[in-house]
Amino acid sequence: MKKFLKALPVWIWGILFALLVATFFSNDFGLVDLQKTALVLAAGIDREEEDFVLTAQIALPAASQSGGGASMEITGRGATVADCLSEIHARTGWVPKLIYCDLIVLGESATVNVFDGLNFFLRNEYIPDACRLAACEGSAQALLSSASAVGDTSAIALGTLFSDAAQKSGLVMPTTLREFAIGTFGASASGYMPYVRAVPQEEDSPQQGGQTEGGQSGQSEQPDASQQGGQKILYSAQETALFAGGSLVAVLTPEETLAFSLLEGNVYAGTLAADGATYLILQDSGAVGIGAPPDMALHVDCTLQRCGENETSSPEELPAGTLSAKEEERLSELLTGYLASLWETCAQSGCDLFFFRRSLWRADPKEYAAWKDVPLADLSVRLSASVKSLR
Amino acid sequence: MKLSSRQVCFFLAAVSPVGKMVLLPARLAETAQNDLLFPVLAHLLIQAALIFCVLLLSRRERTLCALVKGAAGNAAAKIVCTLFAAFLLFAAFLPIVEQKIMVRSIFYDTLPAHLVFAPFFLLSAYLASRPLRTLGRMWDILAPLFVLGMAGILVLAAGSCDLGALSPAGAAGAGAFGSGVRITCAWFFDSALLLALIGHFPYSKGLAWKGTLCYLGGGALLLLFLAVFYGVFGEVAVLQTVAFARISAFFSAMTVLGRIDYLFLFALAFVMAFFAILPLQEAVGTLTEAFGTPRLAPLFSVGANVLMLAAVYALHFFPSGSVAAVTQTLFWIFPLFTALLPLLLLLLFGRRPHEKIS
Repeated sequence: MKKFLKALPVWIWGILFALLVATFFSNDFGLVDLQKTALVLAAGIDREEEDFVLTAQIALPAASQSGGGASMEITGRGATVADCLSEIHARTGWVPKLIYCDLIVLGESATVNVFDGLNFFLRNEYIPDACRLAACEGSAQALLSSASAVGDTSAIALGTLFSDAAQKSGLVMPTTLREFAIGTFGASASGYMPYVRAVPQEEDSPQQGGQTEGGQSGQSEQPDASQQGGQKILYSAQETALFAGGSLVAVLTPEETLAFSLLEGNVYAGTLAADGATYLILQDSGAVGIGAPPDMALHVDCTLQRCGENETSSPEELPAGTLSAKEEERLSELLTGYLASLWETCAQSGCDLFFFRRSLWRADPKEYAAWKDVPLADLSVRLSASVKSLR
Repeated sequence: MKLSSRQVCFFLAAVSPVGKMVLLPARLAETAQNDLLFPVLAHLLIQAALIFCVLLLSRRERTLCALVKGAAGNAAAKIVCTLFAAFLLFAAFLPIVEQKIMVRSIFYDTLPAHLVFAPFFLLSAYLASRPLRTLGRMWDILAPLFVLGMAGILVLAAGSCDLGALSPAGAAGAGAFGSGVRITCAWFFDSALLLALIGHFPYSKGLAWKGTLCYLGGGALLLLFLAVFYGVFGEVAVLQTVAFARISAFFSAMTVLGRIDYLFLFALAFVMAFFAILPLQEAVGTLTEAFGTPRLAPLFSVGANVLMLAAVYALHFFPSGSVAAVTQTLFWIFPLFTALLPLLLLLLFGRRPHEKIS
């Protein structure tokens, strides 16, 4: 070290000293100025003719009455998503920081050629590819601007809907930007994301604090920002939007979403309702088999326990919750019907949800070349579900 | 004090792989798609054979400069060493540019100022002025950090990895394999890095085999990393410019625990910083030995670093162009110094008649 210090001429020391002083007094080169930084929690994309409308939900450093985080929504318009962000910057003076953006919502108008807008997020190295994607009824701007009944910030309420726990219930099939991009740019050119509907909470509703209105969400009307006023909103993401070639082609019903979730083997402690009884799904394994084309097999195996009924049971029957052989058969038929409906929706819409073409490509590129243009509806598919009772 | 054979093995197994984990995976995915493992495997096997040769050369326990001087005289030694040092400076450009890209991408959450990377050259100037024998202690520290960092990111990435994305093997074709090998030449100059170190460590029995096996061990880890990388990103792998920092971000518990993967990323980034400086340090070491002026090492070091800083910032707004120039236009320089020079030296100073290889 001494040799090093002695051997350096004075002018080099001068340069080093100047560099250190510049670094020290640079205010971190003006990099982080919290007063001028907008932490974007969620982004909503809508289209207006050729233009994009980007709604950024921004975290505010103010505590809210309910203890959650406060937020506000700012909208920018432009020819590209980057243009929209520039407009937000120009209007507010805040630099939108997207590293904490955990959710991207696509409004109805933005569900055609979704990567026109998503490419910005995919390309930008300061945006996590792990952020969740969702499509919504109506506009993404209205959805993000709505006042959630379970929290102050719609993005946080929606994030809760896409949690691992929600996924295990089988009610929702969340996806990330990375997974969706891999599916879309792969051989199958298909993907999926949850389809969100906003459900106004009735003033006199007994439901409070986080209970959702599952099952009826498909019939609710989409409120827009002007209609909502101070009304609290609940969100339902039990449906799943299917995409082929980057555009929305169909929406799966909650039953089809459950079947898809069971096929993926995601469900643990979810419930299945049938014939006035409710069953707890204790174990689930699904399999998508692809044989010599055109042969495909979708199979689900579940172990269920009866956990609720709409009639009185004797105390002796209550603890066991076992299913009779007839119930097992009936539920197997029900799930097979869900699978059939799921396959029908995929085949009709052209969404290769089970990555049939990708599997073919990986197994044998020649077979893939022969079958890649064959419509999914022409494939022979075997569907089966096997329900077993907890013993 | 010299380097020990253990420390050389640490370098081969745990320091040399980190230089290939930043830009190489995405570039290779762009060229060879799902067959990205094959060009790297080819390079690893060639480099392993060359490392075996260089380690055989090290049995003479004479430095590169001393070997050339003994055979062809002082002037030739100066010419060869100057050329070799110039090559090492050239080879240092890519790791330092990668280091800059990595720092700007993963250590900041918005685009940082241009000069944030400049202080790196202060550390580099200091280290490059140190004698080559000081590398040993550094490698003793860096090797466990590499193992920790690598194990951490691979474990975190395992859950989101679909190794089926690597199928079908060979689909990219021979052309893609050839292009893959060509554009990755700039990342495989480990035999040249080792060549600069011969004479600075004693040859112990079996070191040639042990060193080669260690290099292959590190190479196997690199292949595993590339497989996991492509398994995580598949068709969008080409977009992931800082590969090692991206694969572990999808661990499901991250939402609760926060970005714990940064612990492992920092460990790897620390190793990378020293790897990026190594060619500069070796260039300075080779020059000072060739010209017999160890006292001027600090000046050589500052000169080399100022030159590098000027090159890096002059090409600041041409990142793709400058990387392409090294990897695609000037790639042929690498085989000259990583393969031709060691083989030539081995021919001249290799095994003598009736000498056993131990």
